[in-house]
Amino acid sequence: MNGPARSAGPFMHNVAEHLHTSAGNLSLRGSTNRDGFPRAHWTAGQPAPATLQSMLFLDLTVQGLVQGAIYALIALGLTLVYGLLRILHVAHAALFTLGGYVGVIVTNETDSLALAIALAMLSVGVLGIGVYRFCYRPLLGSPPLVALIASIGLFIAAEEIYRLAFGPYGLSFTAPPLQTQVEILPGVFLSHARLMVMGLAVVIIGLLAWLSGSTRTGVAWRATVSDPDIASSFGIDIEKVRYLNFFIGSALAALAGVMVALLNNLVEPTMGAVPAYKGLAIIVLGGLGSVRGTLAASLALGVIESFGTIYAGHLLDRDAIAFAFLILVLMVRPRGLLVRG
Amino acid sequence: MRNLLKPLLLGTAVALSTPLAVLAGSIKIGFNAPLTGFAAADGNSALVGARLAVEQVNAGGGINGDDIELVVYDDQASPKEAAPLAVKMTTQDEVTAGISGSYSGSTRAAATIFQENSVPYISAYAVHPDITRAGDYVFRTSFMGEVQGRAGAKLIGDVMGLKRVALITLNNDFGKSLATGFKEKAADFGIEITGEYEYSIKDREFGPIVSKVRSDGPDAIYASGYFFTAGPLVRQIRAAGIAAPVIGQEGYDSQKFIEIAGPDAEGVIITTSLDRDSSNPITQAFIKGFEEMAGYPTDMVAASAHTAVLVMAEALKTAGAGDRTALRDAIAGSSVDASTGHISFNALGEVKKDVQIQVVKDGAWRHYAVISDPVLLAPPEE
Repeated sequence: MNGPARSAGPFMHNVAEHLHTSAGNLSLRGSTNRDGFPRAHWTAGQPAPATLQSMLFLDLTVQGLVQGAIYALIALGLTLVYGLLRILHVAHAALFTLGGYVGVIVTNETDSLALAIALAMLSVGVLGIGVYRFCYRPLLGSPPLVALIASIGLFIAAEEIYRLAFGPYGLSFTAPPLQTQVEILPGVFLSHARLMVMGLAVVIIGLLAWLSGSTRTGVAWRATVSDPDIASSFGIDIEKVRYLNFFIGSALAALAGVMVALLNNLVEPTMGAVPAYKGLAIIVLGGLGSVRGTLAASLALGVIESFGTIYAGHLLDRDAIAFAFLILVLMVRPRGLLVRG
Repeated sequence: MRNLLKPLLLGTAVALSTPLAVLAGSIKIGFNAPLTGFAAADGNSALVGARLAVEQVNAGGGINGDDIELVVYDDQASPKEAAPLAVKMTTQDEVTAGISGSYSGSTRAAATIFQENSVPYISAYAVHPDITRAGDYVFRTSFMGEVQGRAGAKLIGDVMGLKRVALITLNNDFGKSLATGFKEKAADFGIEITGEYEYSIKDREFGPIVSKVRSDGPDAIYASGYFFTAGPLVRQIRAAGIAAPVIGQEGYDSQKFIEIAGPDAEGVIITTSLDRDSSNPITQAFIKGFEEMAGYPTDMVAASAHTAVLVMAEALKTAGAGDRTALRDAIAGSSVDASTGHISFNALGEVKKDVQIQVVKDGAWRHYAVISDPVLLAPPEE
């Protein structure tokens, strides 16, 4: 970069031209003249200028963080359930899918995304309580494997119910909201939908931190997690804590479902399949039951996948990259990302 | 909603009832397709296409007076489901012939079993090269991935005259064989590949790939996929401000792609089997009949299944249902006008036909060009 002036002239010229070009591309969006825009003149044989390379890295990092924020919204519910009940809640991913469906259907019916998000979170949150009340609670006395199998069964049944109820083709927004894009940094474009994913994730996670740290409910929740018997002897209503836990976790999954629907404009019966197992990988990575660890693991995984897709995509697909990362971390830190030893 | 539900219920009902409801005196044709699972959308469309063909054939007098009857099974696009179903169709149901309305994995598994039992089998739209290599009883009425990939190279480099191309490849049989064919002929049409990126069939989020493609700055993007991956992909490509044309293949060929990608679908060009603007009356009757039967506009898989049934019916008319060896020879000697054009086979049982180029215009698939180049499109002979 700071070396001899061998390439400084054309190099700067190229950068300037590229910046001009990317603006040009933008203004041409929607125009019929697809071939008429100017283009930078380096060819694929030459390395792209280093500044553009670092812009790409920045861009890939941001893309990874958006994906990581979605993982976080899904995995938080999982880790909350595991922390409280020691159940691997596979059916959580079915609630995520349902959130996507409610989001798309309500938006298409009412034209209000805000209402759709609220309804999705509320209805799926209540359903989450139902899952606990009617599926997990009767099994609490049995070995954890029983609840896991029930959860997997529920997940598979839910996929088929969605297929019967909403059709095998998936649903899309008739007028997808928030699709316009902004250039948040030179060379880094994000649609408003992506910005909203990141913004909402930060707000929600901040709210959760406040809830668990500074309110009576939060204290009751943490007490129940660390020792249910003693918590209940102090007068904490454990059932209430569990209901709240499932409500919040499921509502977050529903929110993630609506966000994914926004980004892809597609909700399918099987869209929970990947989160169902990747969510488990994330909470293992985060150190089972740890909220902070889960957050770190979600974001790290999003970014690792983002770079892996580009630079190792020929060798490993996205999931393989995720699981290779999981194995590597567990070799060094068997109890999770943030726990030593 | 009703429109989506109808073919599904139809498919399920048929799947459950048909094996029991086969009439005496009818000619049984086995049909495996994914009616549930991730590929259920394609499987149900293919089934409607096949049923439409059966109705048309029977309404036109059947096979020298006898009706044909589909024996339908759900293979979930999975080889481990398809293999036992193929055994059941060939040994228990004793079908005269079979048709696959399914993907490559399941079709390969079934093809071997049909071959072992000397029952003719036509793959309607599965692309893997090994399917017809199962033996001389196995045929394919759709393009192999390689053939369609070569057509894609000609389309971009020659017809459209674009030379710097980014490849986004679905890492399954379908995507990889398309990429192989494309790369094989790219240099012949002066195409330089700026980068190739792979994704898995489960991916719907392409942020990182799109960012990299934007920084590569290609003239065109050749992206393989199905409507459920291509819809989100095209939407994300345009959302990132990339204006370069996107060129796809028959996996995009569904109204659902246009629904998912919305206005961003406009101008997307694909290589496929079905020409919506064809003047062929068989094609037009198919397009109209399908929409009436299914309640939604037709797609490539339906046209392919329809074609496979028509080819089989013509061969049955020539050879009768009694002798499977004669039926095999009749299929091999086919020269049939069907919904996806004129069909004949080479020595391996691979179809010889033109590649249709369609473009999205005003929210519908329309005619763009035809690639009719027997040398470029020649499938392998062995």
